[in-house]
Amino acid sequence: MSERRWNPTLEQWVLTATHRQDRTFLPPADYCPLCPTAPGAAKEYETDIPAPEYDIAVLENKFPSLRYPAPVPDVEGTELYPVGPGEGVCEVVLYTQQHNETLTVQPLHRIERLVRVWQDRFADLASRPFVDYVFIFENKGKVIGVTIDHPHGQIYAYPFVPPVAKTEIDAARRYRECTGRRLWDDILDEELRDGRRIVASNANWVALIPFYARYPYEVHLMPRRHLTTITEFTKTERWDFARILKVVLQKYDNLWGFSMPYMMVMHQAPTDGGDYDFYRFHVEFYPPHRTETKLKYLAGSESGAGVFINDTLPEVKAEEFRNVEPFYMEP
Amino acid sequence: MEKQEVTKEDGRIVYFYTFDDETEAESAEETRE
Repeated sequence: MSERRWNPTLEQWVLTATHRQDRTFLPPADYCPLCPTAPGAAKEYETDIPAPEYDIAVLENKFPSLRYPAPVPDVEGTELYPVGPGEGVCEVVLYTQQHNETLTVQPLHRIERLVRVWQDRFADLASRPFVDYVFIFENKGKVIGVTIDHPHGQIYAYPFVPPVAKTEIDAARRYRECTGRRLWDDILDEELRDGRRIVASNANWVALIPFYARYPYEVHLMPRRHLTTITEFTKTERWDFARILKVVLQKYDNLWGFSMPYMMVMHQAPTDGGDYDFYRFHVEFYPPHRTETKLKYLAGSESGAGVFINDTLPEVKAEEFRNVEPFYMEP
Repeated sequence: MEKQEVTKEDGRIVYFYTFDDETEAESAEETRE
């Protein structure tokens, strides 16, 4: 079952998806459902991928939080507690058929291919009338809660604009109304003028730990040109995006010499038909490590009050991260 | 880039993406490999 229930106190939808309790949990490498099916494999040894090999593949999640058509909700809504069907799409993006690799170690041309796949999935999902927001993300590492080790990301196509995006969009709209300028134009201008929080850059993209970072190593990727979605990249911007993405991923792994866990999320304009020219595409990374051996937990203040406490200064962490190999500061 | 769509027995769709030789050459040029 999956449905959405309205929380009137926070004015947010909560998805219930009880079938996900039974989802695959850390299977052994030789029984990975996201690896190709071996040629001639018996039925019981078939994986979720009906092919003996693949380059990049995308499949609908076996245990989706959202689906279309969605089942009828388990409970009836009321005026206080509206309930809706969990309409949407949940996809899994398989970066490679190689089980033990990560996105970081993919050659640049394969990351550029992945960007094209993300663009295709965004355009496809955005064209579906029940989809208001396409959210591309990756959860990496057991400490994030990943249940399958195979290198993959995910895409959720929501039937509403999720609250974090809505908060950013509302702020950008108000900023535009008050100043006549775009919020992310001014953020990027100020970060470039200051310079202390820039960690990598090329002709089309800037990687930085923003002034308002909540995690010690919270890197954002921002396009220099105004873009609202991933489908607006020029070919050069796409290649430069792949380059700076790989650089940031390499820096994460080189920081302490292990494969860094993280959440990577893409914030884009909604696909509900509205005008979001004041908003800007960008990527945010949330690595949970605050030191090599210590994690940042979302505890009372963060979870209960919505107030993040960052134990570090973004200016200090950015200098440290900028100097981790590979050094990449193209004009 | 080409996309092949396969529907599994349980109704779920898998998209297989493939990339042609021309793209590979273009990649090599772009990446200066």
